[in-house]
Amino acid sequence: MSGLKAIKTKIRSVEKTQTVTKAMEAVSAAKMRKAQVRAISGRSYARAAVTILSHIASSRDAASHPLMATRPVARAAYVVITSDKGLAGALNSAVLRAVERDIATLGLSPQNVDIIAVGRKAHDFFAARGFDVAAYHPNTAEVTTDTMATIVNEVSHRFALGVVDLVKIGYQNFISTFEQRPTIHTVYPLSLGELARVVEGITPAKGALSENGQGNTSTKSGGVTLASVGTFDIEPSPEEVLSVILPKLASIFVYHALLETQASEHSARMVSMKSASDKAGEMEYKLSLQFNKARQAAITREVSEITGGMEAMATQ
Amino acid sequence: MKVTIAKVDQNLFSGDAISLTLPGSAGELTVLSNHAPLITTLNAGTVTVRTKEGEQTFAIEGGVLEVSRNEAVVVL
Repeated sequence: MSGLKAIKTKIRSVEKTQTVTKAMEAVSAAKMRKAQVRAISGRSYARAAVTILSHIASSRDAASHPLMATRPVARAAYVVITSDKGLAGALNSAVLRAVERDIATLGLSPQNVDIIAVGRKAHDFFAARGFDVAAYHPNTAEVTTDTMATIVNEVSHRFALGVVDLVKIGYQNFISTFEQRPTIHTVYPLSLGELARVVEGITPAKGALSENGQGNTSTKSGGVTLASVGTFDIEPSPEEVLSVILPKLASIFVYHALLETQASEHSARMVSMKSASDKAGEMEYKLSLQFNKARQAAITREVSEITGGMEAMATQ
Repeated sequence: MKVTIAKVDQNLFSGDAISLTLPGSAGELTVLSNHAPLITTLNAGTVTVRTKEGEQTFAIEGGVLEVSRNEAVVVL
């Protein structure tokens, strides 16, 4: 009989787990949608800024601007964005591995790499591997422009002063609910082509919020035009305009990376919670079967004991 | 004239306007329809958008204005 009771307790605990994973799934689904909508609302800004840059870049030689100049890389900074919490499948480890591989291709030793970690997982990973974690920001529930501005300042400052010669950002790009891809972009030196790719990648490829789906909140639907249109009067000077607009473009990188990671985190958690719920259902079924078998066996045994007893009494 | 005023996390204004007054780096300027192509930095101050329905103002800390093809874009 103790076997029966043990199975019953196990079934109960599996049921409770399933309730929790189902609730987490629903919460993640709602949060994912919110993050996606926010990512898309920033799109017209990104497009406008890229268009302005393309006009300046084509009218004068912008490549000579300190924030756009390529230098030989002696020291690099990586902004690595992960989540604070786990239970999201391979989400964080995929980004961390991609960044580690990327650092390896540069051939830099851990001492020559500054890590700006967003999210506890990124901090723990790189701190354990002997990298210099220069700054750490928790990946909070809401993406704020303050966090973004702080990160942009940190990297812009380092690059402008020549402390680092390359700034890259690694995050989880949201492609669809079931697909997220670790992505690494170069923030500094800024390149127009790289920016245009990021801006085009803001809209998810599939789902309700994709370009041809409903709920599209972007104001401009055409692609980013990289060609120059006429000659512009640039005031006060192209250099001054670049100094204002380049940090803004860097902030687009960071802001979207933060939002993409958030959307990816929630969708990855939603998917892993869904499979956990499914697995719990399966386990519950198996345990019920086992419980019923054990109950049957106990009844059979009792019946045979009674009949055996009767037989023994009758022969006396 | 089409006007877009955008911040990184939100779109403040998007639509047709009659005129746009901004604190440019070389002094206050007003952009009307068919303005010559221009790119300029903005100082802190107030941006005023006049539309058929009325006026809207936005306080800014700085930014960039681009005017081209009868379209004004303000990036804050």
